[in-house]
Order: sequence, then C-alpha cells, then structure tokens
Amino acid sequence: MKKRMMLALAVLALIAGSAYAQGTIKIGGIWTLADITGKQGSAAAQLAVDEINAAGGVLGKKLELIVVDDEGKADKAAAAVEKLATVDKVDVFVGGMASGAELGKIPAFKKYNKVVMSTGAAGSATVEKALGPSPDSDFYFHLHPWDYNQGASYAEGWDAIQKKYPNIQIKKIFLAYEEGAFGKSSWDATKILFGSDKRYTIDGASFKSALLGGGDYTAVLEAAKAFKPDLFLWAGYDADALPLLEQSKAMKFSPGIYLGAPPGWPIDFGASKLSPNVMLYGMWSTAMNNNNPSSAKFFKNYVAKYKEEPATYFAPLAYSAVFILADGIKAAGTTETAALVKALEATKYASPLGETITFTPSTIIKHQGITRQKILQWQNGDQQVIWPFEAATAVPVYPFPAWK
Amino acid sequence: MVVKRRTAIIAALSIAAVVALILWKPTVLIYGLQAAGLYAAVAIPMGLVLGIVHIVNLAHGEFMMVAAYAAYFGCKALGMDPLLAIIPTAIVTAIFGWVMFQLTIRRALKAPELNQLILTFGLAIAFTQAINLIFTSQTYKMPLDYVSASMDIGDITFGVWSFVFVAVAIVFAYGLKFFLTKTMTGKAAVAVGQNPRGAAIVGIDVYRTYGFVFALALALVGAMGALFLTKSAIFPSVGSPFTMKSFCLIAMAGIGNIPGILGASVLLGVAENFLRAFRPTRDWAEIVFFVLIIVVILARSLKGRKS
Repeated sequence: MKKRMMLALAVLALIAGSAYAQGTIKIGGIWTLADITGKQGSAAAQLAVDEINAAGGVLGKKLELIVVDDEGKADKAAAAVEKLATVDKVDVFVGGMASGAELGKIPAFKKYNKVVMSTGAAGSATVEKALGPSPDSDFYFHLHPWDYNQGASYAEGWDAIQKKYPNIQIKKIFLAYEEGAFGKSSWDATKILFGSDKRYTIDGASFKSALLGGGDYTAVLEAAKAFKPDLFLWAGYDADALPLLEQSKAMKFSPGIYLGAPPGWPIDFGASKLSPNVMLYGMWSTAMNNNNPSSAKFFKNYVAKYKEEPATYFAPLAYSAVFILADGIKAAGTTETAALVKALEATKYASPLGETITFTPSTIIKHQGITRQKILQWQNGDQQVIWPFEAATAVPVYPFPAWK
Repeated sequence: MVVKRRTAIIAALSIAAVVALILWKPTVLIYGLQAAGLYAAVAIPMGLVLGIVHIVNLAHGEFMMVAAYAAYFGCKALGMDPLLAIIPTAIVTAIFGWVMFQLTIRRALKAPELNQLILTFGLAIAFTQAINLIFTSQTYKMPLDYVSASMDIGDITFGVWSFVFVAVAIVFAYGLKFFLTKTMTGKAAVAVGQNPRGAAIVGIDVYRTYGFVFALALALVGAMGALFLTKSAIFPSVGSPFTMKSFCLIAMAGIGNIPGILGASVLLGVAENFLRAFRPTRDWAEIVFFVLIIVVILARSLKGRKS
C-alpha cells in the first residue's frame, strides 16, 4: 500500500515538474459576462487560445486565459485588474467593452504596466484622455475605433457611396438619439461631422430608449417625418430596433435611407419582415465569410465549438486580440513590456474583420488599431457590407422602400 | 352640492381640454391615451395587492418581466402568437405568484413595512439577476405584423395597436370592480383588506384570501407580460421602470381606488405626450411624472388638512 502511495506521489511530482518546466503564458481577460458582447468576446478569446495551443503554443508554452467578470462597473473592473495582476500574476491583459468600466481599469493598468490589448471603449473624452499621451500609455493597444474615428469613417463612407452611386443623394439628415450619454455624444458628433461645412442640413430629436424605461418613439418619429430627411439615423440600443421600425411603419415613415447605430442588434432581427434594407454601422458580418478566409475560419471554428453563431463583432475582435498578442510575444520572445510593445508595433494581422490590423498613433495615444467602421445593410436576413468597397459583399438597395 | 359643482367644473374643464387637443394637436390625445392604457394595465394589479394585502410589491415589474420571458420562449418553442399565450402565461404566473407568496411574502406580512419592502426589493434583484445569468442581457422581440396596423385621419397617420392596452386597462379595472363588489370571494377579499382581524372573526381565512388575491394580481401581470411582447423588446431590466411608475400612479389615484388608476394614467400619458409634442419642452416629458405626483399628493394633503 505504502509502495503504491509512493509511486503515485512520484508520478504526480513528475507531472507537476514537467508542467512547471513547460510553464504557461497567462492572459487576463476582463469582460462583462452578462452582456452578449462579453459572453461571446470571452468565448472567442478562449477559441483563439485553444487554436494557438493546438498549434504548439507560444515560445514552447501554453496560453492560459483567465477571465474575470467586471459586471459593467468601473469598481469591479479595477478590482479585476488587481486580482489578475497580483493573485493570478497574468502576463498581459485583454478585453473590455463599455467605456465606463474601462475607465475604472486605467489607474491599475498604469500601476502594473503590462501590455493591454483593449477590444472596446470608444469614449475618447474619457478613456483616451485618462490614458494620456506616449510614453505613459504605450502599454495600451486600442483595437476598437475611438468615437471620432467612427464618426470620420461614416462621413467618408457616405461621401464615397454618393460618389459611386449617383442615385443616392443625401442633403437632409435627421438623427433620433437616445437621451443618455451615448445618444447625446452621437448627436454632438453628427452636428460637427455632417453639419459644419453646410453640405448637409441636420436636425435631430431625443427619445427615451426602451433599455432605460422608454420605448415610445411617436414624438421623435413625428418630428422626423415633418423634417422629410434623406437619411434617418437612430442612435439607441438593440431594444429599440424593432419597436422603432414597427412604429415607423405604423406612421408610414419611410425615408430614403433608414439607418440604425445600436451597439448590437436583437436576436432574430434579420428574420423580421421589417428588417430588409435597414442600414447599420458595424465591423463584421457573417456575409464576410464569403470573401474573407480569416472570417470564414473564425466563424466555422466558433460555431463548431459553441454551437451558436457569433452575434456581435466583439467576438472576432477578441479573437483577433489574442492572435495579435500571441504573434507579438513570439516576435518579442518574451512578455516583458518594453520588448513586447516594440514587437506589437510591427503588427500586421489579417483579421476576420476584413482588414489587416496595424497600430498607428491616434489623437492622444500611440497605439490605435482599427480606425474605420463599416456601413452595412440588412438584405435577405443577413448583414451585407456596403462600404468600404474593398470589403463589400453587396450593392446598396436604395431607396428604403415605402411601407405596404 | 359643493362636491357636485366641483365635479361638474372638472368634467367641463376635461371636455374643453379634450376638444382643444383634438382641434390643435390630436396626436397628443391619441398617443397620450395609448401610453395611459399601458401604464394603467400594468399598475392595476399592483393596486389590487396594495389595496388588499397591504404590501408594496417592489418586484411587480420584475414579475411581469419573468412572465414576458416565459411567454416569449413558450411562443418560440410552440411557434405561437403572444396573443394566444396570454391565458397560459396568466395561469403559470398566477401559480408562480402563489408559490412565491407562500414561500416569502406571507412570512413578512406581520413584519415591519421596511422589512416587506426589503423582501420584495430582494425578489426584484433576484429575478433580474437570474434572468440575466440565464439569458444574458441580449434583448428579444417577436416580429409581428399586426402591431404596425395604422389609421389615417386627414393628414395624420398613427398606429392603432397600442389602443389594445386601453381596452385591457378598462377590462382589468371594471372586471376587478365587478369581482370585488359582486362576488362572494371578492367581497371577502375587500373585508380582509379593510379589517383582517374582523374578517377572521367572521370565518374568512385571511391568509388564503391574501394568497388568492396575490395570485389573481399575478395572473393579470402574467397576461400583461405576454401582451407586452407585442409592444416592446424584453431584457432583464425591462420591468423595473414599471414598478416605480405603477406605485406612483397608485399614490396619485389613492390606495384602493382601482378605477382612479385609469384617470391618473390618462393625466400622466397625455401630459407626457403634450410636452413631447413641442421641441423646447421635449426633454421635460420625464419630469412631468414627478411634478404630477408632487402636485397631487400636496393637493390631497392640503385638502385633508382643510377638512
């Protein structure tokens, strides 16, 4: 009996010894797990870790993803950084979505000075400002476009679309914006981007999002209908998407372009009879699987592993984040911050998002990844990319048809 | 005589306001009534519980949210329209409500009011977090053709589906009035609500009556949960704003005054839509809710002091 025990202990010691020798590279992931973006983002990051480990790992070591839920709160997000840095002793960080929660992490990120591959946080006035300029923020690699990047890309996109398709002419734009910070910042940005050079006539009105206890859009739709816009844009949340369309139909409001800009769309929106030809802003859609092998590979592996389709672009973004980190660590030969930052600055990653990700300086920080959003359109239940033309999967259907 | 004259003045002023709105901004009246129907239909069951069981159910909106999720996934699984799910959801929610009453609320009925509030507040958080954990914060909405039904009057086009909530609110209010005044069980419930000790002395099972009234209110909440699917997307926190609004409407109407909730809802719905109709006042629509409550409660306390 004693001999057997000794043998078992020896085997255990051997296994533990070999694991110690091999070691792991720990990635600390922070997402809001009750949110679909966090749930699928963390799942996609784990998929990337599994794929990299199956291919032999990085520097002869396995990657290990340790995920902590920030519950969408700044204080929990800060505590998550502390826990991952001190208890789990992670080598690098990944994740993020809401700007408010990201803001809470920044002091702790600065304290530990480990490389961060951020997948969210568009709020430049808060997050980018808190990060501050180089070199203090050089550890921070921001994959998601800042709000001003997004605005600029929309203006660029609509100019390009009008040039390529002369039948699409936009003179009057109406923005229906939810009355919270997200909607108001969209309204301010729209006025500057589209209204400053007087090429467009801009009007707008706020509404209370269903997500915040509202859901009655009649007043804002009446104002929009009276304005007769060529482009109607609403900036709210996924909970507003279908009810807003239903009320638009009930009021027979059908502008030339009906465009939505929520962070995500409700499940089965594409199955609705009201969805065809609604336009949207985004970064990725399943239609891109047809002309982007990286997207197709990501999609196939995600569905195989989780038996569900990725519903938001935060999934391929988190997947890309892990691959970029892994490539950087390989190139640097270490997770030590200065060497890894230098290696990541040379990143050229052909992402499932339809573009090769590199890092360039933004207004304040040195390492900004993606700077363009895409203009898409719901066609036959799928989101089709309309612009940028190099990633396009369909031509735009115009005008938005009158309600029957 | 004075009361009659006052009632006549209020009626005349209301008619004048309605005529003025029809001529000037008819959509204010249309959308105001539609909003009022929804507010009242959700608030009436809470009024029933508060009037008879004397408990402020801070999980009221969350019960509706849970019912809406049950109806949504039931409809998805069976390929059913939410309108057909109204009665099954009402039954299931009534059973769930009865069980929750027996397990939790009944234990706190003799406890201080603060404990009751904390208990139902805890239930609200537990329901929201449980749904969040199971279904995430992803929103769900049933695409339905009939909810976009519209009507043209002159150059005004408006949706008509939301008038269904007006009909439901009226059915709830007058159905409950009939139940409470014309049936034995209803009369027993009123007796328990007015004087539980006296009702017990004459042989009414007080706790059984409380359980029945709570389950009945939850049946109405369940029916509203299924009907709510036609109007709104659902997500874990969709119910909580309705708890607050319902409680305040009951406060405006006066506890136990179920038909009064209809009047309070019309006042709130029309006032909100009146402010939304004009650009400079659009952002003030949310404040009207609190202003009305303060005015009504102040007026009532001044009236009470006078009398």
